[in-house]
Parts: sequence; structure tokens; C-alpha cells
Amino acid sequence: MLPFDQLVVQIVNGLVNGMILALVASGLTLIFGIMDIVNFAHGDLFMLGAYIGTTVFFTTGNFWAALVGSVLAMALLGAVLQTTALRPLIGRDPLTTILATFGISLILQNYALWQYGPVPRRIVEPVSGHFQLFYVDYPWYRILVAVLSAAIIGGLYLFMKFGKHGIWIRATTQDRVMAAAMGIPVPWVHTVVFAIGASMAAASGVLFGPTVGVNHAMGFDFTLKAFVVVVVGGMGNLGGSILASIFISLLESLATIWVSPAQAIIVSFVALIVTLLVRPTGLFVPTPK
Amino acid sequence: MANRLTERWHDEPWARNEEFWYSGKTTRRRFIGLTAAAAGALGATTFVPAPWREAFGQAKPFKIGVLQPLTGAAAAGGKTALVGTQLAANRINKSGGINGRPVELVIADYESKPDVGRRKAEKLVVEDKVDVGEGGYLSNVCLACMPVFEEHRTVYMIGVCLDTTITTSKCSRYIFRPFDYAPSQAVAFAPHMVNKIGKKWHIVFLDYAWGQTTRDAFVEQIKKNGGEIAGTTGIPLGTADMTAFISKITGTFDALYAIMFGANAVTFTNQAYDLGLLRKVKYAGDGAVAESTHLTALGQKVEGFTGVNRYIPVMTKPLDTPHHRKFFEEAKVLLKQMDPTGPDPDRYVQSNFEAMNFLKLGIQKSGFKGREDSMKLIQALEGMEVKEGDDFPQGDKLLRKEDHQAFLRQFIFDIHNGKHRLLDVVPREKTVVPPACTFPKA
Repeated sequence: MLPFDQLVVQIVNGLVNGMILALVASGLTLIFGIMDIVNFAHGDLFMLGAYIGTTVFFTTGNFWAALVGSVLAMALLGAVLQTTALRPLIGRDPLTTILATFGISLILQNYALWQYGPVPRRIVEPVSGHFQLFYVDYPWYRILVAVLSAAIIGGLYLFMKFGKHGIWIRATTQDRVMAAAMGIPVPWVHTVVFAIGASMAAASGVLFGPTVGVNHAMGFDFTLKAFVVVVVGGMGNLGGSILASIFISLLESLATIWVSPAQAIIVSFVALIVTLLVRPTGLFVPTPK
Repeated sequence: MANRLTERWHDEPWARNEEFWYSGKTTRRRFIGLTAAAAGALGATTFVPAPWREAFGQAKPFKIGVLQPLTGAAAAGGKTALVGTQLAANRINKSGGINGRPVELVIADYESKPDVGRRKAEKLVVEDKVDVGEGGYLSNVCLACMPVFEEHRTVYMIGVCLDTTITTSKCSRYIFRPFDYAPSQAVAFAPHMVNKIGKKWHIVFLDYAWGQTTRDAFVEQIKKNGGEIAGTTGIPLGTADMTAFISKITGTFDALYAIMFGANAVTFTNQAYDLGLLRKVKYAGDGAVAESTHLTALGQKVEGFTGVNRYIPVMTKPLDTPHHRKFFEEAKVLLKQMDPTGPDPDRYVQSNFEAMNFLKLGIQKSGFKGREDSMKLIQALEGMEVKEGDDFPQGDKLLRKEDHQAFLRQFIFDIHNGKHRLLDVVPREKTVVPPACTFPKA
């Protein structure tokens, strides 16, 4: 007999974790979709965003200022990184961009250790209450994080759908050459997309910071999961990545009812392998007609 | 360092030679010669700081290979641990070295990975030709590196790794652990846990070598002291989000025992508090959960935590000694250079500091000159008893001959108003457990 309380707890957990993961993965998939760059530094942008959040939080004492400050700073850093390190590699073998982002990842990690030191930092959550969810005191903050993640992703969707620059980005995704021929400044679009991806990573870092403590290694685990999500959802497909995040997180959460959470992680990798074998373009990508 | 190098190489004799500056032609022979000279100067400056070179003249330094994770998941702990080693090396060199020879640290970063650790250990003994090894942080890396030191007949003085098997089933004559291990901690802390905190326990541990052996030691001692184990939960090292694990901890129990360290401990405590677990039961654990370096990140969430540790940064009796104060203040200066928040020293600083001092005493006593004298050094270290003092601010210690395991006093503490508060001191004699080691035949 399936224990109802555990089922509800794990579904809530799965949905909340799925939304947090979706925020991390959407930045990653956006960058891949537009620029064909597999960004190995995404987890480090997440981590550095959280660290910048701690600096702003320490100065202002305000969580929301930390969130906005970190997003803006990381958007700027993303733009600088794209212009200086990635733009010169456009048109080269994809392996060079992988190596470049891997190098950026190492630099950012060691910069964080040098600048902030090894001691974990803290951002205090703006909401500290909790509600009773059967046997668990579920924190409202995690619900808030899920809602904010949904709001940020929703905002990105509206921007892409209706905003002039969003339309430029979509046009660049569909056909880079034609977009350039139509007068869209493609290199500038690339820079803006990388900046948006970096700022989304930063937002996830600041939002997730209060629940884990900010440290230089906080991005490792999320990056791996985000890569799984991006493949399962369809490389470069924003909607697919969001659905895949929720799908993978729910699968993992439900699996923990029967097996240890350490073993439940296997479910994500099974989903990844099945996707690559059965539907390599992604589970949530419409079948081409 | 870069500035110092730039300033110093101008003063080197080869750089004063005008030919070097004004000759318009660079021959291959000159190029090779200058490169070798530059490499030599650079190497010497890097490994033996300039003031010591001047002080010791031509004395050949003792090369100590230091293995620490300075990048990767465990970098935070590795960097802190290295402070202890550097502090001891500075003091040794300032006071005239060991038997008139300075100490040179050859530092290797094993990137928090066992395979890299093994490779770096091999490089230290084969290429760098270190006289002895020191350090370690992650138990799985120590276990991976131990056979390398054994194979090359080099003494390895472990600075942090706590996995029980290092000095039991996998013990080696070349390996020493000059600080505590889980069976000792469990013997020291279990009576307090069962009699003063709660009878029924759930144990949460990091699911790798150290966590598993520590869990086993505590399960045994809790039961021996009349307590019960409601369940155990293993969490893989480096898990970013532990809510799935924590929300599975159900059932009735009085207290939770956490076997965690570093960022994992911070994540676990944060999330266990957020999910209400720490408000329902009492919270205790390995001292590594509440190291001084974590307290800022944990804030109110770790308040009331009770733990056992070989070292806590307090200045109350019996730790209010001039030796401890000196260690504390000097370590704090180095830690401030590493982290702008200037954390208090923790057990990683302390045990690496004392590991180096054990090596110093062993080398002095044995007349050790190099790796060929490893057996003399081993014999000098075996059964070595040291007294509390400048070199051993934590307290007296015995490095047992049978298994190369040290025994020392343990501190039971809680976190009160965001700081460590000493509750009890368990004397060294009450932490002793029988040896369980048979050294492999050489």
C-alpha cells in the first residue's frame, strides 16, 4: 500500500525542486540554444552569483537587494565573459568553446576561494515560517523559491514571445545567417543571451543560498543535474527544459518512497540514457513533421 | 610572492653580470645556463622562503611533502588544514630548524580526488624526493595514498583523515595518525549522549569511508551504553540538496547524531532545521559539524548543538594556557590572510600543526637524515608520549606503538549564543580502545 503522506510530501518536494532546477537549467539551455555553447561554467556562475549576493546582503542587510544586485552584477560579468572569451571562438570547433568554458569554470572557482576564502557564507532567507505537511514542517521559503523561479521563467518566456529583443533572440535561434541578413545584430544578441543566462544562474544561486549556505562547491551538483535536464528536455528547448526539470525531480522524489535518495538519483540517468536511445532530440520536443 | 621574486632576482649574482644585460647575442649554451639558473632561483625561492635560506646558509632542508585538497569540493577544509602545517613549519624554521636544517614544504593539491591524490603522492616521493609526507584531509584520499608511501618506505604523518581502518585493518608501519579516531570519540562521547541527551538515536552520516566507519563506532558504543539506534541515513558526499534524505527520516527517536564536515555539514544543518527536524529532536554530532568556520553560515540554526571534538577554540579551563593562546593568535593571523572574515582555528589547523611537531620530535630523536633513515624515524615515533606545551597546545598525547594511533583528551561542547561552550573534558585515558592492527611484514 502506497503511504499517502509520503506520496504528498515527495510530490511537493519534487515540484519545488523541479522549479529550482528549471531556473538553473533554463539559463543553460538558453545559452546552448542560441550560441551552441555547452557552458561548463554555469554552476560557477550560480556559485559566484550567490557569493555576490552575500556581499550585497552583508552591506545592505536586504535579501531582495542581494537578489537584484547579484543578477545585475552577473549579467555584466556574463557580457564581459562572452565578449572577451567566447566571441572570438564563434565558428570554431565546438570543443574549443567547451574547453574555454571549462577554463572559465576553474578560474571562477579559484577566484571565489581567493576572494571569499573557504569559510561558507550566509544569506538569511526573507521568509522563515513553515507549515505542517503531514510529518514534515515544510518551510514557506522553499515554496517562495519555487514561485519566484516560476515568475522569473515566466518573465523570460513573455520577453522571448513578445519583446522586440526576445523576437531577435528567437530569430537568431532559428537561423543565425538569415537573422544577420535581416539586420539583427547577432553578436550583440549572443552577448545579451549569455548575460541573461549568467543572471539566471545568479538568481538561482541567491535564491538557493539560504537553504545550503554559500560555498565555492555549491554549483557542482546542480550543474550535473541541469545537464541531464537539458538533454532530456531537448538541447536548446526552453519549454522542454522546464518540463524535464519537473519530470526528473518528480521521478527522483517519488523513487525515494521505495529506495534511498542516493539510489533515486539513478532514475535521472536512466531517463537520460532512454532519451538518448529512443528520442535523442529530447523527450519534450515536438516531433518534426 | 610575485613582487618578492621580481625584486630578488635582480640581486642574484648571475643577474649582476653586465654581459647578461648588454650582449646582443643569445647562444644556446647561455640560454640553457640562464634558464637553469633562473629555474633554480625560482625553485629555491618558492619552496624555502628567502629569510630561511639566509638564516640556514647551505644546510640541506628536510623536504616534507604536504598533500591537501586545495581545489575541488574539499578545498575549504584543505586550505584551513594547510594553515596548521605552515604555522608549524614557520615556527620550526624560526627556532633554528630541525637538527640545524630548515623545513621545506612541497605542497601538492590533490583536487579532492583519490586518483589525483595517489598520482600526487607518487610525484612527491618519486620526483620531488620528499623525506617524509604529511597532510591528507579526505579519508578516501588518505587510503588511496597510503600504499604509495608504504611502497617507497616513506613515513606519512596524517594530518586530518579520520577513517578508522587507517590504523586498524589497513594499518602500516609507515603511516601515523597523531590525533583521534572514531572509536575513541565514540568511547568518550557515548556515555554523555545516552545519559544526558537521549536514549534513542538516529544517525546521519556522510556515505563514504570516514562516515561509515564513524557510524559503526557510534552504533556500537551507543548500544553498549544502553541506548538504541532507531535508524541510520547515509548521504553521499557533496550532495547539494539534502531535503530528499531529510524528509525520509521518520519514526520516533530522541536525538539525531550527525557525522558530517565542511559544506555538507552546513547544508545538512540548514535543511534539517528548515524542515523542522532539529526542532523536534535534540541535535548532536561530530565536532566537525560545528567547526568555528561554519558558525557564521549556520547562525541560529546550530544553537544548542552538542558535539565531541579534539579541539575547540575556547579559552576556558583547561584550554586557557599560554601555549594555546599563542597557537590561537598565530593561527588566526594566518587564517585572516586566507579568509577575510578571520575565522578562529579549528581542529584541522590544530592536528596538522601537531602532526608537524610530531615529525620534528621524531627527526630530532632519531637523527633522521633522509628517507633511508625512515625505519629509525618510525622507531622514534612509536610509543612517543608528548606533553602539553607550545608544540602540542591541545594537550598530552600518546602515539601508540601497536597501531600508530594517537590518544588524546576529548572536549564535549555545545553551541551557546553562537559560540563554543566547553561542557566536559574526557581525559586521554578514557578514550583508549584496544589496538586492532597487525602491521604487514616488510
